[in-house]
Amino acid sequence: MAKPILQLFVNGNSPTSVEAIGMLNGICKEDLKGTYELEIIDIQLDPDRAEEAGIMAIPTLIRKWPLPETRLIGALSVKTRVLTGLGLVMSYT
Amino acid sequence: MTIQKLATGIAAFDHISDGGLPLGRTTLLAGSPGCGKTLFGSQFLAMGIQHFDQAGVFVTFEEQVEDIRLNLRSLGWDIDQWEKDGKWVFLDASPKDGDAPVTVGTYDLSAFQVRLERAVTKCNAQRVVLDSMGNVFAQYPEMNSFRRELFQVTQTLGRLRATSLITTERSEEYGRVSRSGVEEFLTDNVIILRNVLYDEKRRRTIEILKFRGSKHEKGENLYTIVPERGIVIIPLSAMDLRYRSSGVRVTSGVAKLDEMCGGGFYRDSIVLVSGSIGAGKTLLVASFLNGVRERKERALLLAFEESREQIFRNAAGWGYDFAGLEADGSLKVECLYPEVSSLEDHYLHIQRLVEEFKPDRIALDSLSALSRTSTDKAFREFVIGLTSFLKHQQITCLLTVTTTLLSGGTSDTEGNISPLTDTIILLRYVEMSGDMQRSLSVLKMRGSKHDSSIRGFTIDDKGLNLGAPFTGVSGILTGIAPVHKL
Repeated sequence: MAKPILQLFVNGNSPTSVEAIGMLNGICKEDLKGTYELEIIDIQLDPDRAEEAGIMAIPTLIRKWPLPETRLIGALSVKTRVLTGLGLVMSYT
Repeated sequence: MTIQKLATGIAAFDHISDGGLPLGRTTLLAGSPGCGKTLFGSQFLAMGIQHFDQAGVFVTFEEQVEDIRLNLRSLGWDIDQWEKDGKWVFLDASPKDGDAPVTVGTYDLSAFQVRLERAVTKCNAQRVVLDSMGNVFAQYPEMNSFRRELFQVTQTLGRLRATSLITTERSEEYGRVSRSGVEEFLTDNVIILRNVLYDEKRRRTIEILKFRGSKHEKGENLYTIVPERGIVIIPLSAMDLRYRSSGVRVTSGVAKLDEMCGGGFYRDSIVLVSGSIGAGKTLLVASFLNGVRERKERALLLAFEESREQIFRNAAGWGYDFAGLEADGSLKVECLYPEVSSLEDHYLHIQRLVEEFKPDRIALDSLSALSRTSTDKAFREFVIGLTSFLKHQQITCLLTVTTTLLSGGTSDTEGNISPLTDTIILLRYVEMSGDMQRSLSVLKMRGSKHDSSIRGFTIDDKGLNLGAPFTGVSGILTGIAPVHKL
């Protein structure tokens, strides 16, 4: 399948941001096996990016590719739901 | 310490709020759907740009930005130029097409807070509108810390010294301020817009519920939405009574009536003429208007019962050349159907006419016709607003009311408004010895001596001929006057 392009918007070192980064790193390593592009954007440093992307909630994870663009909000606490939400669940067959 | 206010520039709002919105603070604007919250917010920003060169940020949680732009253009506001100049900045937080984001775990709205701060600092906004807060709650249902988020928003805005309005929905007109019940605790200032159906009439009112630590008018004031002007508040009960009282007298147009009033009407007085159909009210109106000839002044007639042609023909019959007066620019006749618009709109229309034509005297014939279109309360407020407006302008005003009975009696209209008038003239039919006679009496003349006799009068091609006082009769005002045998 196509190499997913992900963006994660976080707010400095807020607890939910730290949690989301940790969870996402785990998913990338174990489930995507390194075939992905991930950009982490700190809205404190880059508020313009938050405006452009129309971000409201923190953390927000965007799957830019494959289309259609999909958004997840929250600390990404449940791995299976993150994978389903991103549509990246590997087939079990 | 008194709280400073920021003049909004919205007509009459600065008057009822004693100077505008609390400077650098957040005010909650609550109202049911369709009452004009978004318009009020937009107008707040637009007036800031037009009159004070203050930039503003409009945060929309609900309507799409393009729809708002369209509405603003239809009000005649050059939103495109304002956006180009960086005077008006949209922060688009409205829901977008497509799937709502999937929620996995807890989150907060810190990205929104950051964007808000960025927008406000970027254009150095002094005014911020958030429309509408209740909708954020609907978009992010899992957000249990709504109150904390809102607190953050008000803190941020306070820190940036922006004067802001947060709108919120109400589900009922009289009851809790906002649907979620949270917002009102977070701001010290609450304004409520109402859109009430009462006696089959729509009544829009604005009320300043609280402005902590600062003065404002209490209670509801009517407002209306006018194309190209937006929200216009009619500060009816908010008018102050500090008129400059004038000692100058003006003629009523009938010399003998001037004598009865002790030298004519006061220039800034409100004269009420009460009488049944055909008792001579319109004649008194015509004489009053014709009275402008004396000093080359200007008169405005607002006729709600008769057409132009009728009025001019009747006036000619009494020897008054209205066409000539009009040609000289001394007279303006405006014929209106009372039913074509609401009282608020009539009020604004009259106000505009007065500002354009600048009359020295004005007559309304008849007030009773106008009262048909509204509730008692609204009508009373209309008369209060109109009369105080005219007094401020030092315009002599003659109002007529129609009594339902041919002789004697009073009208509902009259009872409602007579305390607001300075002079009351009664026109009555009197049945005397099998004859119908017309009578005139000055019932009240505030601030002056007057002749309290009841006089008979006749009407001919010279107008109104006041006769001698009735003597030896009583019960004239009841309509039946037995002649006392002396």
